[in-house]
Amino acid sequence: MRPVNLTTVLLTLIVALTFQLYPWSGQGVILRPDFLLVVTLYWVIRAPHLINVGIAWFAGLIVDLSTGSLLGQHALAFGFAAFLALLYQRRLVLFNRWQLTVYVFALLISERAIVLMLKLFADNENPGLSYFWPVITTLILWQLMVLMFGAPTRPRH
Amino acid sequence: MLKGVHQKLEPQESPAFFVRGPSPFSRMMFFCALSIVLMAVDSRLNYLAQFRQTFIAALHPLELIAQAPSDWGMNIRHYFTAHGRLLDENQALKQEAVQHKVLLQRLQTIELENAHLRTLLQGNVPIIPKAILGEILHMGRDPFSNVIVVNRGTHHDVKAGQAVVDAEGVIGQVTRAFPFSAEVTLITDDNLAIPIQVERNQLRAIAFGEGKSNTIDLPFLPTSVDIKVGDRLVTSGIDGVYPAGLAVATVTEVRQSPDSPFAKIVSTPIAGVNNHLQLLILSLPEPQQSAMPTEATQVTAETAKVAPTTSPSPTAKPSIENKPNASR
Repeated sequence: MRPVNLTTVLLTLIVALTFQLYPWSGQGVILRPDFLLVVTLYWVIRAPHLINVGIAWFAGLIVDLSTGSLLGQHALAFGFAAFLALLYQRRLVLFNRWQLTVYVFALLISERAIVLMLKLFADNENPGLSYFWPVITTLILWQLMVLMFGAPTRPRH
Repeated sequence: MLKGVHQKLEPQESPAFFVRGPSPFSRMMFFCALSIVLMAVDSRLNYLAQFRQTFIAALHPLELIAQAPSDWGMNIRHYFTAHGRLLDENQALKQEAVQHKVLLQRLQTIELENAHLRTLLQGNVPIIPKAILGEILHMGRDPFSNVIVVNRGTHHDVKAGQAVVDAEGVIGQVTRAFPFSAEVTLITDDNLAIPIQVERNQLRAIAFGEGKSNTIDLPFLPTSVDIKVGDRLVTSGIDGVYPAGLAVATVTEVRQSPDSPFAKIVSTPIAGVNNHLQLLILSLPEPQQSAMPTEATQVTAETAKVAPTTSPSPTAKPSIENKPNASR
């Protein structure tokens, strides 16, 4: 696992934001992955000294602004997911790849659940269970991140 | 991984592995509190409108980059569109234009006659609103609300509160205007209400969106109400936002349940709410124009002046930031 520098991290975050802004239309919109979330979580697990709860929260705030939702909804969910990732970060790097994938799956579900809860509190309509489908595509994206930047786990000898 | 941090520290201090600043829990609590405060401020107070607008404007170049691939794809597809199909389409459009022109000639004379009659009766001459042609950028990124984003903003004189229509009927209302784009809430959104009139018998009512199901609801009408399946609902024009006579929806279902004093009337929107690219943004009628100096019309002119601002308008408030706050 090579050390990472802040420039790489910020660049990937900006690229993820660009993908987040891509105009989706038609039925595929139901599967749109959370580009920014998966990149943020990857760097939180891989480089917690660079990306912490604060930056994850800020990334969530940007998602709030770009979706036009109430400020702080996605920010809170991103911050909480980053917190859950950091909580067991030292153990996570000892996991193997599939264990880590399962944990990331839980993180993504928790983020969606928090946003759903906050949205329902704010009198939005319930989109139903299909709201959780993008977790699957986001998980595929996670594997792509692992392929591109290496697994955030410690190599075994 | 922690090499960078390690170098910055004094050699006597604890190893970098243990030095991570405040614990994740305390950070999380701090940012949770911050976002709860933000949510409260954003939903109850209006301080953040300017911040949001500035940010969206700053995001515009990134948005353009994101849209570039799909634009290229569209261009390539257009380039390869069969020549013959375009010719056919052109022919059909020309025919349609001629037909419309014939109808328009009649309409113009009738409109002139109508205006003349109205001046004779000292009524207000109906104003035909100006319109801006816009194009749908995307269907909104939030799966919780029925909004579309169009490519016209405050730079093109679009303001929050304006009505948005397409060739068939009303689509919705601009709820947020950003410098280069605007957010249009569709009439199917459950926060948007629109004053309507049944075309057949001029019965007035207020229609509410139903959210996900893509239908429009007419609540609080008695079971004995004279509305039948197939009735066309048009805008009544009493709100000062939508000009009168625009098609809104057709009634598809009228149900009477024995345990409710109200009929359940479901209608579907006429405009292609989900399948058009071009749409028109109508400018808000200016209240000064309807004020006439003649004594006889003083009362009506004044009510017309007051109506768009102070009347308990059931449609969305034309403020820049607020989501439509219709109270059921």
